[in-house]
This record gives sequence, structure tokens and C-alpha cells, in this order.
Amino acid sequence: MSVYYEKFTRHARGEGIKGATTHYCPGCGHGLAHNYLAETIEALDIQDRTVLISPVGCSVFMYYYMDVGNTQAAHGRAPAVAIGHKVANPDAVVICYQGDGDLASIGLAEIIQTAQLGLPITVIFVNNGTYAMTGGQLAPTTPMGMATATSPDGRDRLMGEPLKVAEMIAQMDGPIYVERVALFDNKQRNRAKKAIRKAIRLQTEKRGFAFVEVLSECPTHLRMSSDEAQEWIKEKMLPIFPLGVKKDLVVEPWFDMDLPNFDPQALVDQLGTAEEELPRFSDHFPAHIDTDDISVKMAGAGGDGAQTAAMLLTRAAINESFDATHIPSYGPQSRGGTSYADVHIARTEVLSPAAPDPHILIAFNSPSLMKFAPAVRPGGIVIYDSSVITEVPELDSNVQCFGVPMTEIARSLGNIMVKNIVALGALQSVTELFPPGTFLTAIRSALSEKCALIPLNEAAFEKGRQFLEALTH
Amino acid sequence: MPKLKERPKPVITPELCKGCGRCIDACPKHCFTMGEMINPLSGLIPAKVDLNACNGCGLCFDACPEPYALERWIEDALAVELEMAEVKPAAENAPPVIPTTRKPLPTAQPLILKGTYASAVGALLAGCRHFFGYPITPSTEGAELMAKLLPDLDGVFVQAVSEVATVNMIYGCGGAGRPAMTFTSSPGFSLMLEGISYMIGAEVPGVFVNIMRGGPGLGNIAPEQSDIKLACRGLGHGNTHAIALAPSSPQEMLDLTMLAFELSFKYRNPVVVLGDGYLGQITGKVNLPETMVAPGIPRWAVYGDAQHRDNLICSIMLSEEALEAHNTYLNRKYRAMIEHEQRAETYYCDDADVLLIAANTPARMAKGAVESLRRQGVRAGLFRPITLWPFPIDLLTPLLEDVQEIVVVEASNGQLEDELRLALSKAHVIDLPLIENVRHFGGILPQQDEIVEKVLNYRVWAS
Ligand code: SF4
Repeated sequence: MSVYYEKFTRHARGEGIKGATTHYCPGCGHGLAHNYLAETIEALDIQDRTVLISPVGCSVFMYYYMDVGNTQAAHGRAPAVAIGHKVANPDAVVICYQGDGDLASIGLAEIIQTAQLGLPITVIFVNNGTYAMTGGQLAPTTPMGMATATSPDGRDRLMGEPLKVAEMIAQMDGPIYVERVALFDNKQRNRAKKAIRKAIRLQTEKRGFAFVEVLSECPTHLRMSSDEAQEWIKEKMLPIFPLGVKKDLVVEPWFDMDLPNFDPQALVDQLGTAEEELPRFSDHFPAHIDTDDISVKMAGAGGDGAQTAAMLLTRAAINESFDATHIPSYGPQSRGGTSYADVHIARTEVLSPAAPDPHILIAFNSPSLMKFAPAVRPGGIVIYDSSVITEVPELDSNVQCFGVPMTEIARSLGNIMVKNIVALGALQSVTELFPPGTFLTAIRSALSEKCALIPLNEAAFEKGRQFLEALTH
Repeated sequence: MPKLKERPKPVITPELCKGCGRCIDACPKHCFTMGEMINPLSGLIPAKVDLNACNGCGLCFDACPEPYALERWIEDALAVELEMAEVKPAAENAPPVIPTTRKPLPTAQPLILKGTYASAVGALLAGCRHFFGYPITPSTEGAELMAKLLPDLDGVFVQAVSEVATVNMIYGCGGAGRPAMTFTSSPGFSLMLEGISYMIGAEVPGVFVNIMRGGPGLGNIAPEQSDIKLACRGLGHGNTHAIALAPSSPQEMLDLTMLAFELSFKYRNPVVVLGDGYLGQITGKVNLPETMVAPGIPRWAVYGDAQHRDNLICSIMLSEEALEAHNTYLNRKYRAMIEHEQRAETYYCDDADVLLIAANTPARMAKGAVESLRRQGVRAGLFRPITLWPFPIDLLTPLLEDVQEIVVVEASNGQLEDELRLALSKAHVIDLPLIENVRHFGGILPQQDEIVEKVLNYRVWAS
């Protein structure tokens, strides 16, 4: 069979008879499953495209034998590795070959996900009822009552019932074809061959996920001759693991995946970058507030728009070619309770991005004002929503404090959501951080995809400014 | 059905037959019997076959588990044009490398992005179109942006069943030669370590962006630098190392994620990008590079086509000699990384007698502290490792001459300081300055003021 390497050079460097024999024990079912796989690959003419994933278990060295692309996976993870291969090259025929410890114990999560995902991947699951490679311990598929190295008195209720994997896979929506086959006589072997052939053909036809469970003899750990082992499968395994097709859906070919797009224009379009610079309005750093670095805290309840206002201020500053950062509070606090944002605007580079003692505080609710206003540094400014805040804490006499009925103004404009924009208007007026145009440009560009909202936001900004102007002049 | 003389009949190659006897059961004509003689080459007793009764049914071939133990003998072979599909040998010569190219990027205005987004954009610019991940705060936004952008770039986003599955998907995809990545955070990174060890053993590239949070256990989701020890010393079992990059701004999140892919393929090794939760969230200005990467398919990949059929991705080395040789080879790779990939930023280091050492966001706080200390007449400087592994010791030692005090500023229990001390020790720096620290490890970051205070207090004490 030519899908096997001519010489197994990976098997003990191919020296002596190892170059032409497998590492399996006499009579082991793995060899048969390998043969059927090799025949199928040859018959379907997919040798070049095949990627075979070897598991951990007795079949760990499958890559010694099959002349196809080979990847060896960590214990139980072959189906996850298979997903990686399949999406890396949708034309590859990806075959996962796994034993019962690998698939039905340590790798349960991976097989379930891969089966349910339903990509055209083929899994050959060899069930011999034991952990063979590690010396015959209890497997998830060991029959009740059977003694193993880790169930010396036989499997009992405390070890749970054997897991019927084919049935489990078949009841999921992802797979299109699931069959359990055996190897113990000519008829079963013929069926096994056909099932493996079909499971791989379905993949080449881009139809979906296919799964074949093979009841396989491990004469070594059964301590039997191979004909006794065949009998044992018939007598002990069949009653638990009935043979046959568990699922067979007729599905049109659907799997169609393009190769990745590396067109620079497509990427830039996706990122939504602007080609043109936004207009600038300011010709100097607002050094009247501080020489090199100004910090602003905006705080309120979730939904007050503190984060949006902070983001707009950050964008405004960056558009004026200063450095700026915005860091939101996050974590459990951000789910209800106070949401606050720290903004820094720096002449050249923001160093510490946090604002524990800000120059400016905008507070949208009472708890935020109580919490953060006392930390505002001397000479600083506090702006709060006087529609909802009635009590102002005792502040440093050097801190200027302005109440602006943000909610009321926003409501009078028909949408209380814009109270944060009212706040930005007030901020502009009282601090003259940047000219109004800087803020309005940032607002307009943020709303470039919701143009209808621009007039409302412009009005809110203007109202905030006017209110403060009336107050201060 | 072909004529009798044209049907293949079994001939046993005695030294390749293990004598399991499956053919004896399978043959309806009882052609096979168990032999009596031990074969000297195999030490096993092969079966025997007598073809007198054989009608060429072929059932024995399906019952023999060995690939080469039963030859197919055709009496009238010449009359049969065997309709066996011609199986092509794998391409004789080394596969043509589909080269990686750089393409100019249309000029664009800077973006204003949060750290995780900037990292995702860096990955896209590096040619990553395959993302695998499991949602975990505070790294999810990076994954969310990938989920949004990848479909339109004909890329693939797979939300894995766990971090364990994630790393193995990266193993498969990276093994196929594609740049693949994930975003995760500390507990998720712990789960990926096993797979990272396999990737290193099998030489599979892939990028892990870990937005670190508070631990141990579930800890909290506030910023920490809790996984420096994992990235530098604990990448799963065995002889493992990977380059660990530590950005400190959204711009660097983009730049270093791009670099991570480049290094990952250069060395055929995973690369870890460590950010803290703060850095993941922080929004700032990000300039795009002038070019982007269109990755090829490397020679060694198991891509699933004719050119790559001979390849194997595997971390098994059964013989002790082979494994030692492999580890020696890996060590050479690690040495090359140590020699060529140390990176650091220095800030007022030339005349410093107090050197702050910090990475990620704490380095920004430390930079602020340097400014403040300089204003107060203290000759402070900042040494910011950009590679945490390899620790940039070659860049640090020349600066140490006048340094009287080092203050390691970190949001962890001393993991950065451990790396520093180990690097100093390996570099045989005997005359150590005093090493002090400012540490937090619960989600609070060291603040500028406490760093300044630490330095000033020491000054008072020392004088
Ligand atoms: S131990 Fe069992 S399963 Fe493993 S190779 Fe031997 S017979 Fe096969």
C-alpha cells in the first residue's frame, strides 16, 4: 500500500525490520484501521492534501507510517489541532485519529466542540476499552465488571458506566455522519472499510463532520490471542456498544472558505482610518491650567455618558496634536455603581495616565461628587450636574465649583442622553482648554455615521457653554 | 470480478509477520496456519500460507494489521494493468517557499485606540488572519475586535471551548504555517502553558497577548503584572523559553504585537506579549506603520498540499540522545534570542545615580517620578525592559557604574525584581547597588508620588 512510507524511517530510524513493520502488538486492531485509512486516502487521491493528526495513546506514532502531512497532538487535543489545520487551509483533508482515553476522557471538551462546530473534519475513534499505552488502566469505555490495572476488582458503579461516544456524538447537531463499526470478522472489517471511506469522502465533498468509532482488539491487555480478543469484542463490547449507523444526514456541500485577504486597502478600510487630517483650532497648549500635563476626571453612574465625554475630550486633544490618554474605570464597579474616566492631556507625552488628584472634575451624580471632589487639586475646577446634585461637599477654597443643570438642559433639548455633551460645553467655557471648534469637530467626527444626531449634540454643547457664560460673566 | 489468475494472492514476508493469526480466522478456504518456527529477525512465529485452495478473495488482506507482511502476488501480473491510482511521491526537492512580503500601507491618519484594540490591529498588520480564543476579562475587547474585523478580511475567528483548546488550535494553525494568535488573561494563560510547551518542542510559532490581572486563583480583574514569572520561567514543562514583550502604551501594543509575529516566525517559537489590565483599557494615539505583512507559507509547515507533504510537526523525541540533541538545538535558539533580541528604553539613565526599573504601565508612573525627582534635583533615571525575557541585561550593565540605588517598580510580588536579580547574577555583576522596590499586587498600580517618596526617603536616610 503506497500511502505508507516505503520505509518507516521514523520507526527506530528504519533499521532492520522496523523499517517495514509497525510498533503495534500482534493482532492489534490499530493496524487494520490504519490500512483502511491508507486505502481510502489512495482511492480518493487525496494523499497530498491529507493532514493526519496523531494522538497520544498506542497510535501516537502514526506519523511513522503514513506518507501524508503529519502533526502529532497533545493528549486529547487532536480535534482542536484539527480545527487549526482546517481553517489554516480549507483544502486540506484533516483526519483526527484518536483512542478512547484520548478522545473519551481527557479530550471530551475538544471532541464535543469540534463535532458541534461541524467543519468537514473526519475523526476515527478507536475504542478498545482500555488505556493500552500506559499499561491497561480503566478507560471511559471499559465494560462494567472488567478488571484493569486501576480497577483490580472490576469496574463498579463508583467508576461510572462506560461512555457510549458514537451515540453521544450522533445526538449533536453538528455531525452529519456517525457510525460504529468493528473488526472481528470479515463482514465487520468490510463495513469498517466502507465507513472510513465514507467519512473521508464526505469531507472531500465539503459536506461536514464525520465520526467513525471502531471497536478494536487489544489482545495484549486482554491477555488473549487475537481470535479470543475478537470473540471478546463480540461478547463483551457489542452489548454496550451496538454497531451501526447512528446518524447519516444528506447535506449539500457547503464548506467554502476563502483564503485570507492581505490587501492593504481592504485592511485600512476595515480600520476606518481617515485620509484627511481634521481641522485644528488651537495654536497652543492650555498652559493656563498647567504647564505640561492636565488631568480630568469624569464620573457618574453607568449610562451618564462619562466615558463618551472622556473619549471625546481625548480625541479633541489628539486632533490638536497633543498626547492624550483615556482610561476608564472597569471591573465590578463598571457594572452599576460609579463609572469614572481619567483623561490626561500632555504637551508631549502622558506619563502617569491615572488622575488621582485631577485638575478638573466633572460629576454627573452625587456619589461621584462626594467621592472625587475632595481630591481635586488646589486651583482646580469642579463642574457638576445641579439637576440631580443638591448638596456640595466642603472643598478647598482654591477650588472653583460650578453647578450646571445638565439633565434639565438635555431634557429641554428632547434627549437626556446629551447631558454629557452639555457638560463638555460647560467645560469648554469655564476652562478654555481648547476653542469650541476643537470639541465640535471631535463630536462631529465621532458621529460621522449617525449624522442625524449632530445638530442635537451641537445644540447641547452650545447650551452648556451659554449657561456657564451667563453664570461667569 | 477479475479472472482467478488476475486476482492478488497473499505471500507472507516471514520477518514482517507478527503471527497474530487474524488471517487464519479470515480465510474461508483455510489457507493459513500458524507456523512453528521462530523467525530469527523478528523473534516472533509467523503464520504460513498454502495457496492451493486460494481463490483470491482478498479477505486476508483486510485482516492483516501489518502494512507489509502480506505481499499481493498476481500469477498473471502482466495481463493485469493494475488500476491502482498512481501515488505521487512527495515533491523531491525542498518545497518552494511562498515568501512573506511587505506591502505599503496607504497613508492614513493616526488612530485613537485602546490598548487591546491596538494590539489586534497590530496582529492584522502582521498578517494574522486566524484568531482563536476564550473570553476572559480584561482581554476580551481585543478578541471582540478580531471577531468583528476578521470575516471581512477572509480571516477566521474561532471561539474555543477553553484556553486548553485555544492553544491547541493555534498549534494546528501555526503548524500549518499561518500566523495565529489569542488574547487572554492570567488564569487563561495558566491553562495555555501546557500547549505552549508543545509548541516550543515542535517549533510552532504563535502569539499570545496576555492582559495580566490580579491573582492567585480567580484573584480579581484589576491590573497586575502577575505572570512575569510564567512568561519568563514557567512556560509549561521541559526546557522552554519564549520572547516576552512588555509594551507600555497603545502605540507599543500595536508595534510590539507586530514584532511578536515577526520574531515568532523568525525563531519558530511562540512569543508572549504581556500587558497589564490598565494598558489593555487605556486609549491613546496610535500611528500606523508604513507597511503591512502578507505572510507566505514556510517551508517546514504541514499545510496540507503536495509541497509540504513530507513535513511533520511533533515534539516527541523517543531516544535520549535525540531529545538531548533537540534540547541542545533549542538552547542554541534561546542563546540567539538572548544575543539578538534584548530590548529596553532608557530615560535619563546616563548620569543617573538612582535607577528606576519598571515595565508596562508602572513604567509610565516611574517616568513621571523621574521627571518629578529631576525637578527636585535628584539624578533619577528609568530603565524600562521591553523584553522581559530575554532580560535586557546587556543594555543595563553599562549604566550601573554610578548607580547607588535601584528601585524596581512593579505591580507584582517581585517577579520583575527576580528577573533582574537572576540576570545580574548570570552576568556576574558582583558589586550590586542597593535594590529597593515599590510593589503593589492586588490590582493597585504603583503611583508616581509613592515612587518619589521612596527615593527621597532613602536619600534622607543615606545622608
Ligand atoms: S497494547 Fe493493545 S492497543 Fe496497544 S499496540 Fe498493543 S494490542 Fe494494540
